[in-house]
Amino acid sequence: MIKKFISLIAAVSLSTLLLNAGDYNKQAEKDRVALKEYFAKKFANPLKNRGEYFPYATDKELKEGILPVKNSEDFRLGTYAFNKIGKEQYEELNEMAPYLDDIDEGEELYNGSSAIKKCFPNPAIAGEYPMFKDGKVITLTAAINQCLKKAGKKSWGWKKGKIAKLEAYFANKTKEAGKKVNIKINSQKAMEAYERGKKEYYSQRGYLKLSCANCHVQGSGQRVRKEYLHTLYGATTHFPVYRLKWQGLGTLERRIEGCEKDEGENPHKPSSPWVAEMIYFMAYMSNGLPVDGPDLRK
Amino acid sequence: MKIINNTALATALTTSILFADSLPSGVPASVMKLDVAKVCNPKTQSLKSIIALAEKYNPVAIKLGVEFKRLGIANSIYVKETKKAIKSGYKVTILHYKKKGKAKTKKMDTSKAAWRACTFAIRSLQQKEEAGKTYRMAIPGDGFKY
Repeated sequence: MIKKFISLIAAVSLSTLLLNAGDYNKQAEKDRVALKEYFAKKFANPLKNRGEYFPYATDKELKEGILPVKNSEDFRLGTYAFNKIGKEQYEELNEMAPYLDDIDEGEELYNGSSAIKKCFPNPAIAGEYPMFKDGKVITLTAAINQCLKKAGKKSWGWKKGKIAKLEAYFANKTKEAGKKVNIKINSQKAMEAYERGKKEYYSQRGYLKLSCANCHVQGSGQRVRKEYLHTLYGATTHFPVYRLKWQGLGTLERRIEGCEKDEGENPHKPSSPWVAEMIYFMAYMSNGLPVDGPDLRK
Repeated sequence: MKIINNTALATALTTSILFADSLPSGVPASVMKLDVAKVCNPKTQSLKSIIALAEKYNPVAIKLGVEFKRLGIANSIYVKETKKAIKSGYKVTILHYKKKGKAKTKKMDTSKAAWRACTFAIRSLQQKEEAGKTYRMAIPGDGFKY
């Protein structure tokens, strides 16, 4: 009788524990689904949705420039999911993709370092970062630098060069393995980090009083000079990216620094918890989308 | 050296006093009462009082990670260089800053530089407090209705 009672208590405790573990991402999942639905509705028929979403676009732009997005997975392409002319240019440029040499160099860096191989025995891990570990958010860039430091080596920086090349190799391996973005929120502290990242993403900042969402949620599909702003949904799937503006490969940390500057704010350090938590939120929003990096952007 | 130490000490003391008086966001409660159109106006206020406000609040903005930066010039540069110009009685402030690793300079009317330093320091903090109350209004599935 006592044995049965103990088993019952253990079963109830275990199921409560499992239920709670599953609950940590409840709000994040609600946010992700709502975001996906918002973009699906917005881009289902841009011409028909003019009044609500594209009030300043011309008829010509809506008929010929902004394509309807039928499949939400296409948002992993960023602006090229709907930007007709941009997509044509993107496809032409990608015929001889400028980042191919970077992937090869990344592979050489991986194979040439026993320390990195030991830390990342499976290189197809780009979709699992950032992850919440040891009480903080660890981006892929941070994990690589931590690994080098642990092996007594100098870290590689946070924005470009070797770090971006190794990440390009990891992203390519992840893409080849057909893996998807799979960010986990499995503790109270992880949930709090996600919420902080979300708050910062939607907060207006800088002397221009812009939030990231001004451009990449409400403003997605709007034109800034000749470029169309991409969507938050799918924004992290293709990093690191080769940007024509940079004439080289860069990490997500580098891109966020650029966004902060554009908002008129003194950017946070790429190694700061602020940037890591921002990336954590952004990457969670792309959960379930295929990893698509490295890729090309203007 | 002693002057630098004293200045650093004074800034640290002011910042800690401001943090003691802070709202949950870390923003000093006193800054929320300020109207930049009045307190940073060089036509009605002395340049010394304007730059003193900038000097008081910009370190808090830096600590909270919300310091403004315009065209490569962080507000701390505006504060530092304008203070120097006011002290020396120069009508023109020369801003020394770095952009992409290169040393650069920009000339600006001292009263305009003081106005900018003051406005940027105060608004960055007020904006942080305001953003904490408005950000949910932009989230699909939360406050953003479409």
